[in-house]
Amino acid sequence: MGKRIIFHIDINHCYAQIEEMKHPQLRDVPMAVGGHEEKRHGIILAKNDLAKRGGVKTGESLREARSACPDLLIIPPAYDDYIYYTEQVKNIYREYSDTVESFGLDEAWVDYTDSQHLFGDPVVTARNIQERVLREIGLTVSVGVSWNKVFAKLGSDMKKPSGLTVITEENYRDIVWPLPVGDLLYVGPATQRKLHERALYTIGDLANYPEYYLRKNMGAAGTMIHAFANGLDPSPVALNSFRAPVKSVGNAMTMIHDTESAEEVRPVYFMLCESVASRLKDEGAEGNVVTVTMRSSDLNWYMHQKKLDAYTDVSSEILHSAMELVEKNYDFSMPLRAVGVTVSGLRGCRGGRQLSIFADEQAHDRSRLMDTAMDDIRSKYGFYTVRRACTAVDPALTGFNAKGDHTIHPIGYFQGRKMIL
Amino acid sequence: MELFKRYVDVVLLQRKNGELIPMYVCWDNGRRYKIDKILNRQRRASPAGGCGMRYTCLISGNRRNLYLEKDRWFIESMRP
Repeated sequence: MGKRIIFHIDINHCYAQIEEMKHPQLRDVPMAVGGHEEKRHGIILAKNDLAKRGGVKTGESLREARSACPDLLIIPPAYDDYIYYTEQVKNIYREYSDTVESFGLDEAWVDYTDSQHLFGDPVVTARNIQERVLREIGLTVSVGVSWNKVFAKLGSDMKKPSGLTVITEENYRDIVWPLPVGDLLYVGPATQRKLHERALYTIGDLANYPEYYLRKNMGAAGTMIHAFANGLDPSPVALNSFRAPVKSVGNAMTMIHDTESAEEVRPVYFMLCESVASRLKDEGAEGNVVTVTMRSSDLNWYMHQKKLDAYTDVSSEILHSAMELVEKNYDFSMPLRAVGVTVSGLRGCRGGRQLSIFADEQAHDRSRLMDTAMDDIRSKYGFYTVRRACTAVDPALTGFNAKGDHTIHPIGYFQGRKMIL
Repeated sequence: MELFKRYVDVVLLQRKNGELIPMYVCWDNGRRYKIDKILNRQRRASPAGGCGMRYTCLISGNRRNLYLEKDRWFIESMRP
């Protein structure tokens, strides 16, 4: 295999920059994009440079951000716009290569290897892409150019905004190795702590450490980060059309007010289960493991799961198991703040189904028909035209569309692929 | 000179081949301005905010930039 050329392109503080592009006057004030405070999804998602200088950090609560920077302007996120504009930016990348792999909304890898003889020098092309995105969409992007995905990503993080860093096999020891080990992809706080215990502080330390000891202590993950540190990451940039198979489907949300009994939280779970069931049907999948997550008002997490006797994609059956888990495992001594439900153990629907002697199969069919009918009505006339009676008890609590409002999925690096070493 | 972003009503001609051609810009006071000529058409970000397909138009002898942003139109106006 010849030497590859891979770009990693990152839209600098994406959400905040898109807001600035839409409203240029926001460039002159400290501004951050954050969740709706009244709905209590209150964290900072992105900030502009002035807010950063004021000490605002991504991921902190709106209250913490305000105390650090009192005149901070907080804007609720407009996801539809972010999806639209980031897609426009990626369409520019796609003019240069058919292999563009998204990593979240704002980042993408572009495999430029085979496009080289069409467009010429990679560095010139990278500059061209930067200029075009700025001129046509009004956003600045940072680019890292390297021969593997991991170093390309490191490169795009080095200079912001509008940075361009080239990491080659000749210079990576000088550029990458002095960086702190926590900058490397897949080295999170826990791994970083383990590495620090071994006095491995920079990526260079990690690269020159014998792989044997890493594998012994950290297993396959040790081998992987050791390879990353040495630039040995052969993983390909996925084709445009690549889509990872789904492993689980879940929805979670912070409620508009705390709930104090299983009875009160049930309608919220019903809404979440409806969304999960509907998404399962869209995927043509059914699962047999139900997991519930709960967060109490003192911010502790609880998680319980259960294996079902039969595979299902029916909302009332998922709800039944979810509520069973909640009632059995949580006593509501602390009110609940956030809840979630996930179905995993998925397999494709094969049209047929193993009937059970003990379960009521007719009830299953009826509930499934009802789900499909509700989905059809909703897709034709809108989400709120039909709803379960139990959700009318507290309309504020259940006034959300878990399927439609939930559009941003976190993405793993391997997207279901195996690492080949 | 500071430019202001103003959304406007536009009378369009859609050609058989799918091409969109703006014909008139309708101001809020009810006046309608004929677009005499479209000088060029490019994807651009506007200094007044927003981005999209920019149509540089000749309207009664003046050059004006008209943008198709997602699914609506705005003009870079000299007045707020």
